[in-house]
Amino acid sequence: MGQFFYQFFGIGWQGFFDIALNSYILFRLYVLFRGTNVLRVLFAMGIFWVLRQVAVSMGLVVTSWAMQGVIAVAALVIIIVFRNEISSVLQTRDLKSFFWGIPRYQRNTPVHIIVEGVYELARKKIGALIVLPLNQGVESFVQKGISWQGKLSKEMLVSIFWDDNPVHDGAAVIQGDRITNVGVILPLSKRADLPSYFGTRHRAAVGLTEQTDSMVIVVSEERGKITLVKDNRIYDINDRSVLEKLLIKHAGQDTAAAGLKKHTRELAAAAAVCLVCVTGLWLSFSRGMESLATHTIPVEFIKSDQNMEIFSSSASSVTLLISGARPLIRSLGPDRITVKLSLANTVPGTNKLAVSRSSVTLPPGIVVKNIDPSMIEVTVDVPVKKELPVQPFWTGRLSRDLIMTLAETTPEKVHVIGPRQVLTQMETLFTEPLPLDGITASGRISALIVLHPPTIRLADQDKHTISVEYTIHKRETVSP
Amino acid sequence: MLLLLPAAAFFTSHARARDTLSTDQPVLIQPVLVAAVMCEAIEKFKPVNQAVVFSISLGRVFCFTEFDPVPQETTVYHRWYRQDRLISTAKLVLNPPKWSSFSTMQLREADKGPWRVEIVDSREKLMKTLRFSISD
Repeated sequence: MGQFFYQFFGIGWQGFFDIALNSYILFRLYVLFRGTNVLRVLFAMGIFWVLRQVAVSMGLVVTSWAMQGVIAVAALVIIIVFRNEISSVLQTRDLKSFFWGIPRYQRNTPVHIIVEGVYELARKKIGALIVLPLNQGVESFVQKGISWQGKLSKEMLVSIFWDDNPVHDGAAVIQGDRITNVGVILPLSKRADLPSYFGTRHRAAVGLTEQTDSMVIVVSEERGKITLVKDNRIYDINDRSVLEKLLIKHAGQDTAAAGLKKHTRELAAAAAVCLVCVTGLWLSFSRGMESLATHTIPVEFIKSDQNMEIFSSSASSVTLLISGARPLIRSLGPDRITVKLSLANTVPGTNKLAVSRSSVTLPPGIVVKNIDPSMIEVTVDVPVKKELPVQPFWTGRLSRDLIMTLAETTPEKVHVIGPRQVLTQMETLFTEPLPLDGITASGRISALIVLHPPTIRLADQDKHTISVEYTIHKRETVSP
Repeated sequence: MLLLLPAAAFFTSHARARDTLSTDQPVLIQPVLVAAVMCEAIEKFKPVNQAVVFSISLGRVFCFTEFDPVPQETTVYHRWYRQDRLISTAKLVLNPPKWSSFSTMQLREADKGPWRVEIVDSREKLMKTLRFSISD
């Protein structure tokens, strides 16, 4: 559990935003496509994806390849087969309902109105074909149809199938308490065992129920008989209560309050499932897509003895090879990484300090793979001040007939500050190389003082340059 | 790298110094350094071509020192340093009443650069530092 929270709180705000956004998108897809077969196919694709991941992790090359192919084909199938559902969702003009609208609880189908309407149609011998879809939807199996979206009433139902009505030949689709489509053409059954008195309407009713979980009510125009078809079974309705019972069974018996509660519970469960799925997916991806990065971080030396001073170090920064989830690595800046080395156990002189992983501070979820260099040489000592003479460093060749008899520096001595161990052994400072080749007579030149080793420095930082006055004489005896 | 020649020393009669020592001056334990120079050669007990820059082509360089008085037989040292690294030490014996001596350094190509010779008495007291350079 602790590890989970460690991992989870290491996500960062980008991760939380990523999960929240995609959970919402998934939830919206569920809301928009709820009640259609698109969701089932998407669910099947999800299962195939999980199977593919398992196959990949187990090294099943062909299986993973096949699963990938199935997923690709399924994606294509969704677009082709469910084009009507997809287009109806995308073509909505109500952006609010598209992006954030939660459909309210769908009222129960008013069974008694349908019963009354159907019996009125039968009594008047008006042929009718009424479709009551369940979960599967009928959009993919029917043709044409005119959107009606009218509130269901007995009069409305009768008027739709009235002979003079242009849409009376097709079927009416009832969803909830509304007539959503009229004039809908249903697929015909090719069954040969149907009764001989069954006309086109009956065959259409059987045809649709063969392919969907809808219930279809047929009113015969010639005989005024009511037939109900459900799950490929045909019921001759002779009793109003039987029709009502079958309709209630098909539409459900929830009361408004119970239905609302169930509806809310279903949406909450769907939202939770979306959140869990996307979180799992994110963690899976972020772990699977572990990436590497290098950062060059300056080393902070922590002094324990304030009298000690660092005079030199073989490296002032280290290059870290770190790994972690790609989002974490991408969002990680050098300012969030620190490398600290303690000088508590050092002694005056050169010390080798190991740069271990414990020296590196990183945000949770990121680990160090490599440290370069892993060892740093640090020269620490008590700083002391010493006065040293400065000696000219002559190079080149003086003319053979000349001789330099004197070379004096001004100032003759300078003060330097450096490690006690170093300055104890130092007796002289030297100038930069001074060329002899151009010298023909006595004169004066300026020269820089060379500070070596680099751990020493001049007490007066501005006096890096000295003056060298030299005296040249003609050689009395030219050496061979 | 170097060839340290045996230190040469020679006595010069100096009656006035000896008289001074025996009458006016208190007895000195340590000799007094009156001259210290770097030179190209020693001829007739005297330094030739005193300088602070010597060509490597000379082959050798000399450190000449003269002490007056030398109250008693004693020892001095010529310590040769290239940059700050001690290369060699020449031990020179001084005899009363006055004494001159020198040490010399054989030069090689790698010896170019700044040098110094420290003249130190028997008590390790620094008497004089001579600085010079070996050039092309």
